[in-house]
Amino acid sequence: MSYIIASTLEQAINNLKTSDGRAQVIAGATDLFLEEFPLELVDISSVPEILGISRSKGFLSIGAGVTHAETAASSVICSEAEALSEASLQVGSPQVRNMGTLGGNVISAAPAADAAVALVALVAKASLIDLDGSSREVFIEDLYTDYNRSSVDSKFEILLRFLIKPAQKGEGSAFLRFAPRAALALPLVNAAARVRLANDIIQEVRVVVAPSKPAPTRLLETEKLLHGAKPDLLTWQKIEYTASSEVEVRGSMLRCSEEYRRHLVGVLARRVLQRALVRARKVT
Amino acid sequence: MQEQVINFDLNDEPVSIYADPSLSLLKILRDRFNLLGTKEGCGRGDCGVCTVLLDGKAVNSCLIPAGKVQGRNVLTIEGINGKNQVKAGLMHPLQQAFVEKGAVQCGFCTPGMIMSAWALLQKNPAPSTEEIREAISGNLCRCSGYKQIEEAILQAAKVMTGQL
Amino acid sequence: MILVPGHKEKGFISNHKPPENKVNQGPDLWAKVAGRALYGIDLQFPGMLCGKILRSPHPHARIKRIDTAGAAALPGVRAILTASDIKQKRYGIVVQDELPLAADRVRYIGDEVAVVAAVDEEKALRALEAIKVEYETLPAVFEPGAALARGAVQIHDHIPGNIAWQRELERGNPDRAFREADLVVENTFSIPSIHPTYLEPIACLALSDYLGNLTVHTALQAPDMVREIMAYVLDLPFSKVRIVGPIMGGGFGGRVYGNLKLYLLSSLLAQRTGLPVKMQLSREEEFSIGRPMIAAELKIKMALRRDGTFLARESEIITDNGAYSAQAPWVTKTLSERNDSVYRIPNIRTRACLAYTNKVPTAQYRAYGNQAANFACESLIDQAAAKLGLDPLAIRLKNCTQAGDTTVHGLKIKSCALKDCLKEAAAMIGWSNRNQNYGYGISAAIHASGSLVANKDFRGASARAVLELDGRVTIFSGEQDYGQGTYGVFTSIAAEVLGLEPGLISLNSRDSLVAPYSQGALANRQTTIGGRAVQLAAVDLKQMIERAASEMAGKPIKMERGCLKSADGSIIELRAVACYHHNRTSGLNLTGVGSYVPPLAEYDETGYGNISVTYSFAAHAAEVEVDRETGAYNIKRIVSVHDSGQIINPLSAGGQVYGGVTQGVGLSCYEGYLFDKGRVVNKTLADYRIPTALDVPDITYHFVETTDPEGPLGAKGLGEVVQVPVPGALANAVADAAGARVTALPITAEKVYRAITKGECRS
Repeated sequence: MSYIIASTLEQAINNLKTSDGRAQVIAGATDLFLEEFPLELVDISSVPEILGISRSKGFLSIGAGVTHAETAASSVICSEAEALSEASLQVGSPQVRNMGTLGGNVISAAPAADAAVALVALVAKASLIDLDGSSREVFIEDLYTDYNRSSVDSKFEILLRFLIKPAQKGEGSAFLRFAPRAALALPLVNAAARVRLANDIIQEVRVVVAPSKPAPTRLLETEKLLHGAKPDLLTWQKIEYTASSEVEVRGSMLRCSEEYRRHLVGVLARRVLQRALVRARKVT
Repeated sequence: MQEQVINFDLNDEPVSIYADPSLSLLKILRDRFNLLGTKEGCGRGDCGVCTVLLDGKAVNSCLIPAGKVQGRNVLTIEGINGKNQVKAGLMHPLQQAFVEKGAVQCGFCTPGMIMSAWALLQKNPAPSTEEIREAISGNLCRCSGYKQIEEAILQAAKVMTGQL
Repeated sequence: MILVPGHKEKGFISNHKPPENKVNQGPDLWAKVAGRALYGIDLQFPGMLCGKILRSPHPHARIKRIDTAGAAALPGVRAILTASDIKQKRYGIVVQDELPLAADRVRYIGDEVAVVAAVDEEKALRALEAIKVEYETLPAVFEPGAALARGAVQIHDHIPGNIAWQRELERGNPDRAFREADLVVENTFSIPSIHPTYLEPIACLALSDYLGNLTVHTALQAPDMVREIMAYVLDLPFSKVRIVGPIMGGGFGGRVYGNLKLYLLSSLLAQRTGLPVKMQLSREEEFSIGRPMIAAELKIKMALRRDGTFLARESEIITDNGAYSAQAPWVTKTLSERNDSVYRIPNIRTRACLAYTNKVPTAQYRAYGNQAANFACESLIDQAAAKLGLDPLAIRLKNCTQAGDTTVHGLKIKSCALKDCLKEAAAMIGWSNRNQNYGYGISAAIHASGSLVANKDFRGASARAVLELDGRVTIFSGEQDYGQGTYGVFTSIAAEVLGLEPGLISLNSRDSLVAPYSQGALANRQTTIGGRAVQLAAVDLKQMIERAASEMAGKPIKMERGCLKSADGSIIELRAVACYHHNRTSGLNLTGVGSYVPPLAEYDETGYGNISVTYSFAAHAAEVEVDRETGAYNIKRIVSVHDSGQIINPLSAGGQVYGGVTQGVGLSCYEGYLFDKGRVVNKTLADYRIPTALDVPDITYHFVETTDPEGPLGAKGLGEVVQVPVPGALANAVADAAGARVTALPITAEKVYRAITKGECRS
């Protein structure tokens, strides 16, 4: 056994079990050739449990094997999880979006992964199953252990689905990225936000940026400033300042200086919040 | 990896090979099927010259492990015109338009570009210039500045929908 | 027909061009869209071996020991060569500074240390891993300034001071001009190394037979120049080195000499093994060893009169050669002087120095550094205009070079519509009605069309036109078509002379066994010089056809619009004449020869003189919108107006403009090598970013068609000049919109932002 295409979840789990830790699961496989090749692969891209977008118990349930192209084309995601729709549309290139999956975007744990940033802003949970069939639900941001490392060991565990609360009345989300080229480029900074308004007061808010820490990073101080505020009375300059002050970023010769990236975080955080607010008010 | 049997449809014909499933589809197409129309420019999904269609969707064949195509449908530049002769006048409207509109210079990006365009026109028979740009944004071209490629795709779309 | 200087022709220039749909672009186009076109990477030969190169991991080191025994014993390995296994001969295009394999020292990360031939790629790579090399690292120098300093590490023992090439130049009296000037402006500009980034990585396949005949299959812009060097280095008679060109996946100057190392090493392996050897560069190798254009720093000073008249320019230029030189001296020369002839500048002083560093060796790129000078000089002109309160367009119109001028370096300008180009570009961008929210920039350029300086003795081109037995005509020329339209231009020229349909004419140029010797596709010489030879060959053939037909008919016959007619109206078929001659001579075809020898470029030891057959001109204007909060900018429009003489093939001319402007956008906005201690940092197409379809602005173009007395059908070159004005126009437009200037390419958002905030990043 070396490259197996599993058609059922049961088959995938059995294959992992019998391989004694040599096999790992893959789906889109877009990063496979960029790293050391695993010995045995179990391709789960056609396992029904990781496919499709559905509603379940008040949640939007999005399969981990759903591609970026499918996400971007989904009218449900577009109207009820705008940030994810916008993020998926901007990943890599059309070819990569046709193969790359949401699950892969999270598990490969790249520090500037677009969809992962949107998922964290949308308070998404991941639902996973291990080889014994026991499942767990974890917030996306808790899946990261280091840069390019997630806590999901794809030899022993399978990420099945993402659960997101669909946007309700008074809620809106948005995603923005700042990249050195319009396609085929990693962003210098990407940012996503989700807000919930009631009586024109911000009840709930999340602002997430990357690349910063290994996981998409929430700007907690900035969120605090916004919480309970009336959007029209916000001092955006202060929000921008807080965002760039609180974030941890690094500079690199390939992308930009630490200083400039910090500045961009402020600008993008403000812009993405404003965009989310416009949408939140529109739904009201 | 150990070699294994891989069955798939290639350019509308069933094929079966015994191959290392961890090789890229690109390598299989070029080395095993001698389909040299699919080019290699980077091996990392950064340029799009190896674009083929997998179940009708444009993908970078350099990033697809051969094992993944088991039971699926692969279309390459050699297959887009069915069994028609390689001859002026008998080409696919996209091929015809690429020649007529000056969309081909060195031609190295052309097969991948045509495959991306083919995928676009399948799902969107009358695309706007913006949609065309988006659809070919994963295909680098160094010669043309893309303009005449966009014009060619627009023309092909019109021909294929009977407007020209 | 041989056309030498001084030869008087009558009625030779014509403006008659074939209709667009009649242009015969050759068979490659159809092969390309069908996926049937074979490039270097596609070549296969029964029994061929795969060659791979072991490269230095150090920027500068002494090789103490190489142990290949373990690698040689591996299965499938057929040959391993190190410096001690081959006869080493030092070579170079301008400076003799390279050996086929590093002998005792490596001078950059990537220097070739050993080469392996094995039955397949995997075994060749495994053999590379098994070769043991012991190095003693040496101090390295990465910056040209440091390399030129006293006491710097010496990179080549036989080249003192790390100076690959330098020169000082003075025209007129710059000191007096600067003293008398109303305004002096100065600034320092820089441009990084640019890779041509042809999409097909370089590949070659070498074969050597039992008589020592060497055949290398590889796509080159100048195959005969490469043959010369190969014959010299490999100690082979010139006639035993043959180059056959597959279809070329992009050149842009990068394949003038291509990668000589690869051709030499594959040939050595083929000679050693007696088997065909294929070698190809990976994309990572292309970027880390693949000969980009030199990086340059230009310190420029200009003197002007209050009314905007240009009085003098002084330039101090340092270019970064990397470890080996190739054409970098010529690029430095063009970079340091060509731009001086865009405007009337009577006084010039230039110091240019090309310095060795322990980095990737350099070569050339489309437009030969002229685009770097454009960026610097056109930026400085806008600075001066702003200081004088003059309009950037007006100051250019006031000073631009015109037909009849002899420029400060002695260029004789016979045709020039630069003034009209500037006016037209301004009109197209809406210069007089500029939108307050956007920034606008304009820039002008000159480029040699048919440069004559590469080889004083051999400066022209020749061609043969053969009447085939079926009445069709085959043109043999050494000029290469790699998609830029030479096939269409040459067949059109011959068609026009012979009065035949272009479809009846074909071009044969890719095999050095049958094609006439040529300098190749460089210096914008294809149309101007190569096309002229084709025209002469066709004229010669026409005369021969008429002579043979007259002899055959026993009465005078004239060839008109492709028909052979006598005075009494009787018509002879071309085929019949072809067969008549063929039978009468027992197998010869009527063959016209054309030899075009352009006038000798007369220039003195300072380089003063008319160095090119003619000159192309261009003016571009750009409109940009800047996001002041981030420094990001959106190029809304670029207009591109050209004087390239008569345009023979409008479709491919348009393609050259769109493509050339887009490459200009690339080097202005995104591209450029990044180094970390001599190591190339951006060596993938994800990190070395060329424009995608979503990055290209709206480009519109216009040709101001002059009729050049030298070019065939009045045409001049277009392929290179089209890129030159882009960085200047964009830099000026961004500066106009941002209110602050970026002086280092590429103009990234971060640089624009820092220019706006004067270096600060507000947080």
